[in-house]
Amino acid sequence: MRPAMEATGLGVRYRRTWVLRDCSLSVPAGRVAALVGPNGAGKTTLMHAAVGLLKPALGSVRVAGEVAFVAQDKPLYESFTVAQMLAFGRRMNTRWDAAVAADRLAGLGIALERKVSGLSGGQRAQVAVTLALASRPDLLVLDEPLANLDPLARHDVMRSIMAEVAGRELTVLLSSHVVSDLEETCDWLVVLNGGRLQVSGDIEELLDGHLVLTGPDGVPAAGTRVVSASRTGRQVSMLVRGAPPLDPRWRARRPGLEELVMGYLRSPESAVLPHLAGVDA
Amino acid sequence: MIWVTWRQHRPQIFVTAAFLALLGALLLGSAVEASWYVSAHARPGCPEPALSCGDLAAALARRYDAVYSVFGWMPLVAPALIGAFWGAPLLGREYERGTHRLAWTQAVPVWRWLAVKLSVLGGAVVAGGLLLSLMVSLWRPVFRSGGDSTFGNIGVFNMVGVEPAAWWLYAFALGTAAGALFRRTLPAMALVVIGVTVTMFTLFRLSDHYAEPARVELSGTVVLDDRDARLVRAAWVEPSGREIAEPPDSGCARRVDVGQSGKNAEAWQACLFGKGYRYAVYYQPPSRFWRFQWTEAGILALASAALGGLAVRRTLRRPG
Amino acid sequence: MIEFNLDRGSGVSTYLQLVHQVKQALRLGTLRPGDQLPTAREVVESLAINPNTVLKAYRELEREGLVEGRPGMGTFVRQGIAGATLAEHTRLRRGLEAWVREARAAGLDQEDLRALFAVVLSDAAKEGVA
Repeated sequence: MRPAMEATGLGVRYRRTWVLRDCSLSVPAGRVAALVGPNGAGKTTLMHAAVGLLKPALGSVRVAGEVAFVAQDKPLYESFTVAQMLAFGRRMNTRWDAAVAADRLAGLGIALERKVSGLSGGQRAQVAVTLALASRPDLLVLDEPLANLDPLARHDVMRSIMAEVAGRELTVLLSSHVVSDLEETCDWLVVLNGGRLQVSGDIEELLDGHLVLTGPDGVPAAGTRVVSASRTGRQVSMLVRGAPPLDPRWRARRPGLEELVMGYLRSPESAVLPHLAGVDA
Repeated sequence: MIWVTWRQHRPQIFVTAAFLALLGALLLGSAVEASWYVSAHARPGCPEPALSCGDLAAALARRYDAVYSVFGWMPLVAPALIGAFWGAPLLGREYERGTHRLAWTQAVPVWRWLAVKLSVLGGAVVAGGLLLSLMVSLWRPVFRSGGDSTFGNIGVFNMVGVEPAAWWLYAFALGTAAGALFRRTLPAMALVVIGVTVTMFTLFRLSDHYAEPARVELSGTVVLDDRDARLVRAAWVEPSGREIAEPPDSGCARRVDVGQSGKNAEAWQACLFGKGYRYAVYYQPPSRFWRFQWTEAGILALASAALGGLAVRRTLRRPG
Repeated sequence: MIEFNLDRGSGVSTYLQLVHQVKQALRLGTLRPGDQLPTAREVVESLAINPNTVLKAYRELEREGLVEGRPGMGTFVRQGIAGATLAEHTRLRRGLEAWVREARAAGLDQEDLRALFAVVLSDAAKEGVA
């Protein structure tokens, strides 16, 4: 399948500092991809490059079809009413689904004549996401869509995005530094760390391909490649790739998404990346 | 996109239109009042520069000055306000509120967003400037018909013809470029005010060079008989025909005048003229009105284009 | 009709929870042949989960022959779960009990057993045995 987004050898520089380097990844169409990494890892930069808000110094990003973007602070025009924001979206886009926008906002109980400046954080986020969805994008890019939202609003925002993904061919790329937010919603994982790409792949495959091993320190875990290890006393707990070792002193289990991400972030030199640019869905 | 421009910049458009309407009402009111006064008080043949019309001319001048003092600062203040409230927020506010990330990630490409905003708002600004010019040009002759043209007084010169439009456009472009550079509205506004002031004084000094000044040699007086001409410089001319920079050392005694009196200076000048000296005056005659108008407008239009280009380039290179 | 709910802290993957809940409903008779399962969109709208997870669960159920997707209409229950016969059940249970005793003797505790069982189950699932 054709990737919805593909970055090749992407490098972005602010003055002398490289904030993103040698970044090659692709997100297959129809996926919900999580872009995770600590603050300053280059998540926002990668997204801005993908939506055309900045031109990379090296390499390129290609997006198939129309893109919609919701920036981190969910920018809207303060002096506009919600209805005027929708009029803005209609006039700024070639595809526009007015009915979808109106239905969504009605369903959320956000009156069209309300002023943007009077909306709550959650309502703002919903209006911003509505604008993005009503433009019928092929790729929806969301920068920290859940930041600063209360749990109910987080759930509501995610529900609307997931429903849209279920309804049609839509690829989503969303960033977060809270991995637990993404566990249920994302099926593709991209980990950025210090401006470099560490992980890119299908979440189920990644979780199936890794194990958390716990056992006595010093015992070789044959047949596995250690991603990261943490030691307490004589015990070691490791995130590894490969089949479980036969040695019974090892206890093995499937990692959670958070464990997988943390394991990689703790050892920036490890990476699990597809060999080919075009990844099959 | 045009609706978006209109909706976003509605306040500026309203305020500017209201200002122009208010000014129009003021000018119209004062012109009507003045013409009533003329029809009630004028003797036949007046108003005219003739001496017999002196009373009427003085009364009209009082009325003129009353209104002129209200907007005497307008050649400077109006462009500064246009630059600060039309230009500076155009990009500055988008950046500081983060809405540029909304506006420039829609299907409409950034270059088109810029093109529409710059042309619609730039067009509106030019139209506003021309309207101001038209109103002032219709109002002024009521008081000054046959008196002077609009060339000698640089303040009036900047309010008629194509000057207001050129200045407003320039200030708008300056504000836009400043907004693109600073990415904030307030510093951009400050730069506009400073920039317009500096440009105005620079062009004022430069305007002597828009055309080679005309030269006339006076004898018996040092005052040019054209109150609407722009003086460039003056010098004494020796009987031999040589121009000298310093007042001549000719044996004429020169005493310092006290108070308002110019008696001593006049006596000294009369002495010099008596010895065959002449007084050369370099000046720009009022017939060059349109040449100066178009020259200055051309300079400002070029500067506007350069500033607009800078803003566009800056924005397209790193929109985020 | 079935309404799904998630136990987010259970550690069981979401799609398996969905599969289990459908099977449970089939066993209990709350879902019967001919009943329609909620669409992916409906599930997603209530649970805020990835629609592919729902589709994956439905594919799994389809693979097991329990449901069938009718293009443009939805996913419908094909057959109930007869399950293993009671005798079969008892026999398997005896075997498992013997194995647990053996593991206990080897020093494994409750947690170890659970981990080991989970790993073997997931491996088996990967190989397409379970």
